[in-house]
Amino acid sequence: MKFEDAVKKSIREFMKGKTPSATDEMAEDGIFHTPEYFDELEEKILGEVKEEESVDEDV
Amino acid sequence: MKMFDAPIAGANYAADTRNYPWHRPPDIVNYDEGVDYMITKMKEPDQIELVFSLLEIDAHVTTVVTSLLMQGISRGKFSIDLAILMAGPIARYISIIADEQDIKYDMGVGEKDRISITPTSLKMALGIYDDDEEETLEVLEEAPVIPEGGLMGAPTEDEAAPEDEQAAMLGMVEEEEPTDELA
Repeated sequence: MKFEDAVKKSIREFMKGKTPSATDEMAEDGIFHTPEYFDELEEKILGEVKEEESVDEDV
Repeated sequence: MKMFDAPIAGANYAADTRNYPWHRPPDIVNYDEGVDYMITKMKEPDQIELVFSLLEIDAHVTTVVTSLLMQGISRGKFSIDLAILMAGPIARYISIIADEQDIKYDMGVGEKDRISITPTSLKMALGIYDDDEEETLEVLEEAPVIPEGGLMGAPTEDEAAPEDEQAAMLGMVEEEEPTDELA
């Protein structure tokens, strides 16, 4: 398997909500950058953008 | 030819281990540290401009992630194995910031939707198509039509010489008598 194919497979699995289990077990508090973390980050970033847009429209 | 598309087994043992950054132990060995490093790196103006530019010329997110990870590996920041683990979070982060900027993108995780990037396609996307290449294409378009039946094939009616020329070739035309001046 080429590096590009491995990257593609890794992205596909992460998008399905899977995390590297062995890495997760090794970390004391578990891994921080999980799919849930990025869902929250997306809500936060895109939420801020929508708020800015609504403020602009009001002005 | 796939069997030759790989390094020679044991080639790494034959090279000097201090030659390249990736021959030395990587700087980052922790998953979260690696993702943090990449996200921080992507926030740099030149990196973010590169990411957005690549997405705008319809490069897949997987292609962008691969190139960013290759940079890190070549600089000895992290190992190839850790890079593969980090690919998912980085792709997700790129998709979030692309959404924020209203940039349309394709993740490129499907098998059939891969568009290979060639020097020509990149030149065309960047609008730096060479005049020489256009001339070459024009010349190729004007290539003569090869007659059917090979080079020795009988010419078709359209290609045949006119009747008077054919008669001249067969010697059926009366020869002009020399005039006095030439005699």
